[in-house]
Amino acid sequence: MTALDTPTLTSSYGEPDGVHDEMKSGDGSVRGVWRELAERMDRLGDAGLSRRWAQGQRMISDNGVTYNVYGDPRGTDRPWQLDPVPLVLGAEEWRGIEAGLVQRARLLNAVCADLYGPQTLLHEDRLPAELILGHPGFLRPCRHLPVRDGRYLTFYAADLARSPDGRWWVLSDRAQAPSGAGYALENRLVVSRSLPGVFRDCRVQRHAQFFAQWRQTLRAMSPRVGENPRIVLLTPGPYNETYFEHAYLARYLGFNLVQGDDLTVRDNKVFLRTLGGLRRVDVVVRRLDDGFCDPLELRGESRIGVPGLVQAAWAGNVAIANALGTGVLETPGLMPFYPGLCRHLLGEEEKLSGIATWWCGQPKERDYVIEHLPELVIKPAYPGAPATGLGGVHIDAIFGDTLSAAQRDEIAGLIRQRPEAFAAQESVNISTAPVWHGGRLVPRHVMLRAYVAATDDGEGYAVMPGGLTRVSRSADSRVTSMQRGGGSKDTWVISNTPVSDFTLLAAGDGSPAATAVAHDSFDLPSRVADNLYWLGRYTERGDGLARLLRAIAARLADAEGSDAGPELPALFETLDVVTLDAEAKKKRDKSEESLPPAEARVRAAMSDPAVAFGLAPTLENARRLASVARDRVSLDIWRILSQLGRDHGPPDDDLGDAIERLDRVVTALAAFTGLGTESMLRNQEWRFLDMGRRLERVAQGVAFLRALVVQPRPNEGLVLEGLLEVMASAMSYRQRYLAVPAASPTLDMLLLDETNPRSVAYQLVQLDEHLEKLPRPGLPDGRRGEDQRLLLDMLTTLRLADAARLAAADEGEARDALSYLLMNLGSQVPALSDAIARQFLSHNAPSTPLGGMLVPPALIDRPAEDDAAPADEGDTA
Amino acid sequence: MRYRVTHQTDYTYAAPVSVGHNLAFLRPRDLAGQRCLGNLIDFDPVPAITNTRTDYFGNHATLFTVQEAHRHMSVVAVSEVEVDRAAPMLPGTSMPWEQVFDGLRRDRSPAGLDALQFAFDSPLAAAQPMLTDYARVSFPPGRPILDAVYDLTHRVFTDFAYDPTTTTVSTPIDTVFAQRSGVCQDFSHVQIAMLRGLGLAARYVSGYLRTFRDRRDPKLVGADASHAWLAVYDGAGGWTGFDPTNDQVPGEHHVTAAWGRDYGDVSPVRGVIVGGGRQQIDVKVDVRPV
Repeated sequence: MTALDTPTLTSSYGEPDGVHDEMKSGDGSVRGVWRELAERMDRLGDAGLSRRWAQGQRMISDNGVTYNVYGDPRGTDRPWQLDPVPLVLGAEEWRGIEAGLVQRARLLNAVCADLYGPQTLLHEDRLPAELILGHPGFLRPCRHLPVRDGRYLTFYAADLARSPDGRWWVLSDRAQAPSGAGYALENRLVVSRSLPGVFRDCRVQRHAQFFAQWRQTLRAMSPRVGENPRIVLLTPGPYNETYFEHAYLARYLGFNLVQGDDLTVRDNKVFLRTLGGLRRVDVVVRRLDDGFCDPLELRGESRIGVPGLVQAAWAGNVAIANALGTGVLETPGLMPFYPGLCRHLLGEEEKLSGIATWWCGQPKERDYVIEHLPELVIKPAYPGAPATGLGGVHIDAIFGDTLSAAQRDEIAGLIRQRPEAFAAQESVNISTAPVWHGGRLVPRHVMLRAYVAATDDGEGYAVMPGGLTRVSRSADSRVTSMQRGGGSKDTWVISNTPVSDFTLLAAGDGSPAATAVAHDSFDLPSRVADNLYWLGRYTERGDGLARLLRAIAARLADAEGSDAGPELPALFETLDVVTLDAEAKKKRDKSEESLPPAEARVRAAMSDPAVAFGLAPTLENARRLASVARDRVSLDIWRILSQLGRDHGPPDDDLGDAIERLDRVVTALAAFTGLGTESMLRNQEWRFLDMGRRLERVAQGVAFLRALVVQPRPNEGLVLEGLLEVMASAMSYRQRYLAVPAASPTLDMLLLDETNPRSVAYQLVQLDEHLEKLPRPGLPDGRRGEDQRLLLDMLTTLRLADAARLAAADEGEARDALSYLLMNLGSQVPALSDAIARQFLSHNAPSTPLGGMLVPPALIDRPAEDDAAPADEGDTA
Repeated sequence: MRYRVTHQTDYTYAAPVSVGHNLAFLRPRDLAGQRCLGNLIDFDPVPAITNTRTDYFGNHATLFTVQEAHRHMSVVAVSEVEVDRAAPMLPGTSMPWEQVFDGLRRDRSPAGLDALQFAFDSPLAAAQPMLTDYARVSFPPGRPILDAVYDLTHRVFTDFAYDPTTTTVSTPIDTVFAQRSGVCQDFSHVQIAMLRGLGLAARYVSGYLRTFRDRRDPKLVGADASHAWLAVYDGAGGWTGFDPTNDQVPGEHHVTAAWGRDYGDVSPVRGVIVGGGRQQIDVKVDVRPV
């Protein structure tokens, strides 16, 4: 027991008046279900919590948990905001919520089935027809579209809040592609690992069973009975606000993460474009709003959908979850009718009520709303619909009591002008829960998004124990939107009985079927292969650049102002070539004097964004590609790259700092390569990553050799030593030759030696093996593809070459034979890269509407091929 | 009258198209005063898959997918249609427009609900205050609805210039209204939006118009292309067409193909292709009495 005079975290927590506080009851005592957690937190104290939570924060950043905020200048990833103190709910209370949510899911499903079927609810006037027929989300092409077992909703979410009297209310329904379940999973992971003892002792109910059930339901929806169903998760792409979650859920559930262009409809069936050809898709779990799913029949301007998807569904060849058209259920306008519909359709009284809601499309309700604006929250009746007819005005939720008289008049005017587009809800003073902030617990308003999944018995639903709790930004803010800068919490439903340790986090559920789905590497979408290939290229380019910069910086530091070694100018020239620093090249061509000091040039190549192929943009590209392919790279790999991309502010003036940073880059990239070598399955994903790496190494090797060896320089030994160092072969050279480097053995070692893993020839041998192993449907056995023929040509040239002849040169003249060979090789590298892309990666042509303009999709940037350096920053920014 | 309607659409692409998914409304509907006696659609290349469906509005939709590489696609629909429309209702005998407005909001019969949906905004024909204000002049209190719409049609015909160079398929109606010019599709959208602004039900009709090559009536516009007009719900279970392009109530010379909330619901041929590059589209329509 803590002494009364020392305030603890929970004793100093002051709950606000006039609201229900989740942790403390009116008399200031901690509620029963919170007691265990409260005691543990008090024992930890602020210091203990700080220590533990530092670990939690690190997990969030390491795991790359992000939420994309539209319009955030920091770009596409903002770290996820999570509070260490969970929201705690008792099993008893939860059972009530659970029953209410299951009932509501059944109700909404039944309403949807009627609206897209006989529409008796409209004919019998149980629902205002205006609400549905005027709803932009009512998708006419989907009426009578067959839906297996009538399961329109396989996944449903409701936003719940608690009023001052302690009752829970539904504030809104998420019916088409509810988001946040993946974040709830991640929140659980972070909190349970940061506070393992507390988590265990509190007997928190687990999530895994819920997801396993949902997956089972999705599998059962497959139209092909008896076959192992292929399930894909369709995402709008990496710029969507919840892309992290899409990748996370896809990996967690063992589904393929795909974008619209990865799918194609042929013969009324949906196929996934993979390296192995087209693969039939049985179930599409969509995270696209339904209007965007098919540009042919739903919204012509959509560039992220799958043309023909609706027809495939009509033909009964694919199941879509949730069914297309379910977006219509998200209107708050339906909420006032649910109590009556619940009695009519289910013969039951509503167990969990929606908050009082008025739809302005009805004259009496509209007048009430206009009269009572200060007490209400105004919402759009058609969320997500383009605001046509409203002069483009898009509203989210407007709290009437925050409006000035003039603003109220304006809103009233908008409502009168187009009443059916508005709804209003009672403004509830929603409950608060403690948030750890500035060393203390402070109250914040909370809202709970709870998740419901269909069970595979054809009619039932199950509720995720817990959910995603969202927190307002400040004590007086009632907005709990992640878009608006709010935070989140884990949600603990405390069990009365021991909890099961069932988990999906290991490699699937171990059943042969699940394993087969997760590991069929033929399923690799071409787009993902493309990303991995470029990831390989960028990381390798970063490695080469860092080594070159390190060699330069080390020599500069050694020279300490005095005359630097003769190899330095040569290395700088090489640097300008590989970073494509045209400015520096121009200056160098004119006179040495006008060049910036050497240290500044090193710093610029490291961190100046104006240097097109400098280190910083290269690493940033690698990080971006890894984030796009996040469902395919391991967490460890992602951690390395996410750190790399961030550590590139300008180094300070001290060369030591630059060297240290370059050391870190080289080490981290070595770790990346090592992880790839040691822990990736030797599947196609690995092959494409490695092919990118090998090809880049060829390109770089050729560039280095051209810059440093073709024209013999005075004191060539020193130059060659630098070259060997940059190409990571200095040690091997010394072991073999024990002498100052000479041109012929250096060329042999760096260009021709197939046993040196850094030589150009070695890379080509490895590439040849990859190309040999990749699937080539349509090519007769034993025949070589264009890419293989090109590679054979390159490799043969090297095998026939003789180092001594290449090294030979007349006094003061260039090495012509070498120059010719390297020039040829250099031009063959981009050709090879193109041939590989044509052979394996070009299945992804964008679709365009007939009569429309050709607009290339901007979702995936593909670096352009270039002779000297194969990426064009202009295309990848 | 009996017509043979030939509607040919040709697409030419700069680069090969590997897959094309298409949706077409090329079979004229059956309705009071119009019967489709026969309809044949010829495709080149032959689609791998053809499906037909009756859409939400009762139109005949044809979905076809070309799965072989092609640089050219041609769709030729030939239909024989018997048109025998009764003389239009005398404008003065229709219901006062406010009564139609009220009735729409009370009637929950299938026909009533079907009409009601056309009173709401659709993507290409959404009400706007300036359009509603323009229309209101024709709608004094108590005026019979068809009287009022006829007047409105005449004003649109008079105030707007037919000029195909001023709009494209994607020109929004506020632009059409501001420049007071466009083509049949634009006039129809503008007038539909005007009527919706007043709370009335108006639908977009896609179809064909018989034109006279001998210049007996040179005002009839719409030759060699598909035509469009609108229809208004009269409150008594009927729809009356209005052609703002020609200041007419469609009679024997108009053949209805399909209707919807706007062009987007019933464009004659629409598609999404993979590949193709630049495209060229060529449409030829021929309406010939037989």
